[in-house]
Amino acid sequence: MSEKELYLGYATDKVVTPFFRKFLEALEQEKLMKSVCPNCGTEFLPPRQHCQKCLSETELKEFTEREAKLYSYVIVDFPPESLASRAPYVVAIGEFPSGLRLTAHITNLTSMPEVGMPLKLAFDRVDEKKITYKWLV
Amino acid sequence: MTRRVAVVAGGHAKFGKRYDATMRELCAEAYKPIYDEGITQDKIDASVLSYAASQFTGQGAGSALIADYLGLADKPHLRVESACTTGTASLRAAWGMVASGLYDVMLVLGVEQMNRVSSARATELMAQAGDMRWEYPFGISFPAFYALMASRYMHEYNLPHEVLSMIAVKSHHYGAQNPKAHLPREVSLEEANNAVPICRPLNLYDCSLITDGAAAVVIAAEDRVKEFTDEPMWIKGIGAGASEMMIQDRSSLTSIPGAKRAAKAAYKMAGLEPKDIDMAEVHDCFTIAELIAYEDLGFAEPGKGREIVENKENYHDGRIPVNVDGGLKSKGHPLGATGVSMTYEILNQMRGTAQNPSRQIDDVQYGLAHNVGQSGQFVNIFIFERGW
Ligand SMILES: [Zn+2]
Repeated sequence: MSEKELYLGYATDKVVTPFFRKFLEALEQEKLMKSVCPNCGTEFLPPRQHCQKCLSETELKEFTEREAKLYSYVIVDFPPESLASRAPYVVAIGEFPSGLRLTAHITNLTSMPEVGMPLKLAFDRVDEKKITYKWLV
Repeated sequence: MTRRVAVVAGGHAKFGKRYDATMRELCAEAYKPIYDEGITQDKIDASVLSYAASQFTGQGAGSALIADYLGLADKPHLRVESACTTGTASLRAAWGMVASGLYDVMLVLGVEQMNRVSSARATELMAQAGDMRWEYPFGISFPAFYALMASRYMHEYNLPHEVLSMIAVKSHHYGAQNPKAHLPREVSLEEANNAVPICRPLNLYDCSLITDGAAAVVIAAEDRVKEFTDEPMWIKGIGAGASEMMIQDRSSLTSIPGAKRAAKAAYKMAGLEPKDIDMAEVHDCFTIAELIAYEDLGFAEPGKGREIVENKENYHDGRIPVNVDGGLKSKGHPLGATGVSMTYEILNQMRGTAQNPSRQIDDVQYGLAHNVGQSGQFVNIFIFERGW
């Protein structure tokens, strides 16, 4: 494959389907994509290629919400082997006003996180091959 | 029409870091006491191997290896995998085969060997049971999933961490009295509450152990039970449940939705209510999981599980004794063995043969096993009835 490698996050399952690749290419442009079912209208974040309700092929659409609230968090002190160099790190589930949620790291905390605190969605390049979405406080 | 099915015998290997054994020797250690009671290979029609994670050992075709090692190579066998519920999923599968009349007598063997790899590697392997596309890239380890529940629970119900530590103190109190336990020693509340953080808000003493071990039970159809024992433990109720794969998709993090569904189904099948249960073995892979289990099983109202802890109602002489064998926390959590070990413990409590009188529960008529897989994606609940 001649196209450059592109993966999500900090530890990576190197299986990238054409659908997931489109998501990653958009993410590289700082666009977060959700998926919408053309048949029943259900929305998914993160996206899934097949609708969970009717199994139709979904379409990727840009997700534009940026402000969320911290639904829950963990500070990972003892990490899996693959994230050893990043620990400790904070994983947070953020909830957008629409009710959709996203799980990512909070990267700029200076004090303990608190459930309910405001989060802002941002994007980051982890290294040459890896990109991610993240939370900022 | 199904036949009634009873647990007629059990065996249990020593849990711990078993560098002296592989899964085959551990299984032999668990089956030997059953053999010694007279349930020899010729009396067993088929076996199920509960073996959750071959990635820890590299051993494929596990049920073939174990059946052969135990002298059961000419009997049908199969392996079941359902993460940490593998043990009770195996029992559920075997129950179906016996209740339906396919077999009369089955051996259910649970085993896991997890200490051949480093704890960082084990943490890595268990993280791969999260969603590989959307969760794994962010390093959400097994304790991290439960820490996400703990943070939310502590927020919604204003729960101090100390209550979780009280659960760990109880687990270690009983583990110290269980010769099969991995870490049989008491801990103080101060020690438990101030331990090194693993996945905050959870610390070392909130987390179960990475354990090698095996446990076994034999089940038999009602018309064959008398051949094996005068003290059968009937399988009275079975409930199974499931929850969303990704933890962010759960409607609640203060309860495990699949566990509530499983409990409802188990109580309905048994014709019983939470107040009828005399003891429970619950899936305390983390202290927060035990607290949530009290509520999901109906022993306490949502948010009130702490009252059971603070009033010590969960001790062996309390209203609802829970994990008085040390639980996953002190006895240990060899994934595939855990659900079978819970069943073994309830059998012994009913028979009055808990190894140490100081943890023997008085007069157990009904015992409940609550076995949860991964972060709630799988749940099996069994209700057992004393048959004598
Ligand atoms: Zn649809």
